[in-house]
Amino acid sequence: MRYQKTHRLPYLLILPGLAFLAFFFSAMWALLVISFCKADELGFISYAFTFSQYQKFFTDPFYLGYLIRSLHVSFLSTLAVLVIGYPTAYLMVRSTSTIRVLIMIILLVHFLSSYVMRMYGIMLFIGNNGIINRFFEYFGILNAPIRMMYSELGVGIGLATGSLAFVVFSVSSVLEGIDWTVEEAALSLGASRKRIFFEIILPLSLPGVASGFIISFLYNLSSFVTPALLGGGAFDMVSNFIYEQAVELLNYPFASSGAFVLLFISLFIVFLTNKVSEHMIKGVPKQG
Amino acid sequence: MKAEKEGYDIVTSVFFALTFVGLTLIVFPQIVVLLTSFNSTPELAFPPKGLSLKWYRHMIEREAFFHSVKLSLLLATLATVASLVISFLFSLAVVRHKFFGRDLINALILSPLIIPEVVSGLALLYIFNRLQLYNTTVNLLILHILLTLPYSVRVISATLYRFDVSLEEAALSLGADRLRTFALITVPLIRPGLISAAVFSFVVSFNNFTATMFIVTRQTTLPVEVFSYIRTENDPTVAAISSVFVILTILLILVNRKRIGARDLSGDRTARK
Repeated sequence: MRYQKTHRLPYLLILPGLAFLAFFFSAMWALLVISFCKADELGFISYAFTFSQYQKFFTDPFYLGYLIRSLHVSFLSTLAVLVIGYPTAYLMVRSTSTIRVLIMIILLVHFLSSYVMRMYGIMLFIGNNGIINRFFEYFGILNAPIRMMYSELGVGIGLATGSLAFVVFSVSSVLEGIDWTVEEAALSLGASRKRIFFEIILPLSLPGVASGFIISFLYNLSSFVTPALLGGGAFDMVSNFIYEQAVELLNYPFASSGAFVLLFISLFIVFLTNKVSEHMIKGVPKQG
Repeated sequence: MKAEKEGYDIVTSVFFALTFVGLTLIVFPQIVVLLTSFNSTPELAFPPKGLSLKWYRHMIEREAFFHSVKLSLLLATLATVASLVISFLFSLAVVRHKFFGRDLINALILSPLIIPEVVSGLALLYIFNRLQLYNTTVNLLILHILLTLPYSVRVISATLYRFDVSLEEAALSLGADRLRTFALITVPLIRPGLISAAVFSFVVSFNNFTATMFIVTRQTTLPVEVFSYIRTENDPTVAAISSVFVILTILLILVNRKRIGARDLSGDRTARK
């Protein structure tokens, strides 16, 4: 009797969570099904199996453009974030408590504040009437404003600042676990700081770099706010396409095919990054 | 820093420069927002033309903001409470029991972190329409619970993994019943984890925009209201709102500083042992 009771207990405990999951995944399943259907102009869906939505998405350069733009700007902004975020994480882990706490608080405020409001800040910063242009104008350095918004550059800057905290926290959590006596050992054996970093610390922290890359890339790839505000229609990404198709044009099948393309590409990026980083980590001797 | 003892060190210098660039990109726009919120002209001016509190007055007087803040607070509170209860029960099962499908279900509950928000937003929008569920508040609440679950499950599981079960056993062997043990030993010991999970869930729900955008109707949340204001109006009222919330966030962090760690924020999707 008692044996059975303890056996049933875990299932009772997960029941509420399971109910939410079941609802969510049936919604996902329903969405997958209609991505293989067709809708007429009024949004009525005819349930006949067809690949036409995917075909339209991948063959029409107009629609494929959303995907290519998204991949391009997300990849570049993620690389930029890694270059900026890694040193930030390194200094956060290795510095004295004042610098450490300062970086930590700046990133936390940033991480916890609204993404929409953060992008508004970037608009005031880099916009045509933004502070940078006003500053140059005031000192007579430029005749015409530098156009950073409404282009890939503006969206890229927005995406990079938007995902910086993710990268810093991923890298710092790995750096914190490193046994830093290896550094002292290498120093006492005469290695230069540069060599110690590139040959010991960086390889040991690759798992953090990989997870930071994944999070930042996926987060940027599916961004909706940044292209909408900083791209202003001139640089729409996949999420904007999905929203427009579903909410404005009521074409659920086409919107959901876009959604599943985005989802599968995201999963593929996770898979690929893990494979690449596993391969790179293989050459690194285990600690301890 | 230790590096300074060795004299000039190229790696550290480059790192300081890059960190400075990154932090400037984060901090500087926020300072511009704060200064703009006190600007007397609707257009951004450099140098500022005059000080005024009119955008703060406009923020308070605009009813749409007031209603959206109310809805956002209601949603965030309910989603946090629900998410904490569900995650606590869930984590208890996953951390302390072995059962069929444990790893799979644990991976699935964390999956909203990998699934793009547009996809989950669209999936829920479609299913709510199909099932003819048109209560916006309830729909948003379901969405927000789903989005906050991964965060609270991760934080609470991590706390439970670190929990020393022998403390509970000691209480039980000394004659306390299960309820007393739970209330006097378990809950106080995992309280830091519960608080940090609550802070995360609240913030995730309160700030959520993209998925929420799919579900909202005429009733909107604050981020959606702010988004449409930025797109349609051209004055610094949003700067005033943003400044108020950033100051509130800084206060929240200073109060909770010891409880929130980088560890909980990191991208590692598996609960730590």
